[in-house]
Amino acid sequence: MPLDILVVDDIQESRRSLCALVSELGHHATGANSGRAALDRIRQRLPDLVLVDLLMPELDGFELTRLLRELTGERWLPVIATSSLQGDEHVIQALRSGADDYLSRPVNPALLQAKLRHYGSVLALQARHASLAQRQRDILDNILDPVLTLDATGRLEELNRAALSLARLNGQPVTIGTPCVDIFGIELPALLARRECRVRRGGGAEYAAELGLSEWQEMGVVHYTVVLRDLTERRQVERMKDEFLATVSHELRTPLTSVMGALGLLAGGAAGTLPAAALPLAEVARRNGERLGRLIDDILDLTKLEGDRMALHLRPQSVAPLLRECIAANQSYAQRAGVALSLEQPAEVAQAEVALDADRFLQVMANLLSNAINHSPQGETVRVAARIDAAGLRVTVVDRGPGIPPQFRAHMFEKFSQADGTDQRAQGGTGLGLYITRMLVERMGGRISVDEVNGTGSAFSVHFRRAAATVSPLPSLLHVDSDYQARARVARWLADAFSVEGVATLAQAESAAALQAPAMVIGNPQAQGSSEAFCDGLKRLASGKPVLLYGDSIDQAFCTRVALPWLSPSRSGADELLAAVRRALTAARREGTEA
Amino acid sequence: MSEELRRVMCVEDDADIRMILEFSLGTVGGYEVRCCAGGRAALQQAPLFRPDLVLLDVMMPDLSGPQTLVALRELPSMQGVPVVFMTAKAMPDELEQLLEHGATGLIVKPFDPMTLPQDIRPYWEHGRGRRPG
Repeated sequence: MPLDILVVDDIQESRRSLCALVSELGHHATGANSGRAALDRIRQRLPDLVLVDLLMPELDGFELTRLLRELTGERWLPVIATSSLQGDEHVIQALRSGADDYLSRPVNPALLQAKLRHYGSVLALQARHASLAQRQRDILDNILDPVLTLDATGRLEELNRAALSLARLNGQPVTIGTPCVDIFGIELPALLARRECRVRRGGGAEYAAELGLSEWQEMGVVHYTVVLRDLTERRQVERMKDEFLATVSHELRTPLTSVMGALGLLAGGAAGTLPAAALPLAEVARRNGERLGRLIDDILDLTKLEGDRMALHLRPQSVAPLLRECIAANQSYAQRAGVALSLEQPAEVAQAEVALDADRFLQVMANLLSNAINHSPQGETVRVAARIDAAGLRVTVVDRGPGIPPQFRAHMFEKFSQADGTDQRAQGGTGLGLYITRMLVERMGGRISVDEVNGTGSAFSVHFRRAAATVSPLPSLLHVDSDYQARARVARWLADAFSVEGVATLAQAESAAALQAPAMVIGNPQAQGSSEAFCDGLKRLASGKPVLLYGDSIDQAFCTRVALPWLSPSRSGADELLAAVRRALTAARREGTEA
Repeated sequence: MSEELRRVMCVEDDADIRMILEFSLGTVGGYEVRCCAGGRAALQQAPLFRPDLVLLDVMMPDLSGPQTLVALRELPSMQGVPVVFMTAKAMPDELEQLLEHGATGLIVKPFDPMTLPQDIRPYWEHGRGRRPG
């Protein structure tokens, strides 16, 4: 590639001959007759390379080289000094002034050609490097999400254009060198563990952002690149969706309540006896109204499950009473269908605990039972059998129905799948039941399977692992407060360090404490009857473990009287609560070791 | 206070459901029924009607069910009167929150109008058991 070369020499003859030589070698040459003229020319247009004579009046080659280095800054401009001076000291001085190379006059054409080829390829590499860097820069700047690179100590090293929209939490602009804690409110190690964070927009409010964080290394030095995705809109859409669902649920059920109510009254004879011919018609309407209600329930459940917005309350449960409850709840439905229900649970099931959401487990069982009842001929029995084995708990619902066609088996746990429409009673289903059942079971950490029983009937099994003896590695706290929001707040504040079980009353607290003995009890005497009796109850629950009173209905005098520590929620925040809990636990541990 | 479940007050903003409730509790159940279209009307009527039990819709435009319940509990004549919410299937959290507002129980919509008169009875008995004296 031809280079644009500036030849600086005050002697016209030697300048011209060097220019001619450069042109002969296929490059483009321009001459400058003094150091000043060279600087003017370079300020206008940067050449690819400069050939400079060392001996010139006013501004000599050494000084010009120095000035050139200052002028071009980071961008590298090769400078080759030329001179007819003898001896190495001039060469050394020229190189010290910043020249890259030296050629003695008269210039040997072959040597000049070799050097220009060498500098040509180095310049091409530099151009390639610069264009790659620019390309990366352009790509980064065109990403709409803020991208920040931090060094190993958490200081900001690099940011893209979108990141300029951010501010520090104190409102100051974000610049190179800003520490992590100023932008995210937490130090780098804490940030690394996060999936989400809160950041501040320049001149605006804080917002929640999803955090994409990757660690990389460059020549042994660690860097962290953070990509922030604004969650404001997603959160808004989720909230609107939830509100929409709640409204739809209410709006669909209100007319359904009237329709079903009016039908029930008509069929029940509340408005006079219906003609015999009208009764089956009322029954058709009633059955389909019920089906519509189930569809609404199922679609709402489905939307919540698929959007991962169904809150499950998993806790170790004793399964035996749950199974008895679900048999009792489905008994009348089974009777109407002329089907009997039986429950087999060996003694070891009664002692087993499984981490479940009780309501959702009942829903799973209700779905499996109603399926089994719908597909059983009259006079048959649907058997529910529970078993404990090495893998955990297995509950099987066995029916004596026609079984499952092989072609349906593959997709029976999918959405809107029903075997066929030949079974009249099965037609009341929504096609969502087994799908929702599977989703619920899986969300609770279990799995569902189906087997054929000797060619007659089918057996659906749900499997759950047994709750481990140590339920949570975090110390468990029991919080008794009648205010739902206060419980939610405390659970949130302490969630990082403790597993908090919140209950409304002492009675609920007793059953929770029976499942897992708490490491500490926190209680609010407000709206719990006699405060003294409540405090006695807390002490009983704690059975020697520390108790903290956390409420505003009491004062210091009361707390001294009942000899319990106190923290006022209205006069403290998350940090104070955490500190008070830690203090109480440490004091208890100390007493324990002294005793 | 009556030793028998006689007067039932229903608070429900939907006129059709009010009619069904009147039919169900009045014609089928034989109770004396007063229906109110909203929380404000209920607060006005409660001291006059002196119900033995209140059925309360949760989602209502002017005063919500829980707000109405709190205000009802402040009326001297309403101390210890069982209040039962009527609502579409609620999530366990919402349900717990409703009961924490001091409700005695919950009837799920759609309800069966032929059995509703019996379905509310246990709540009244439960409430009577808790009443002082």
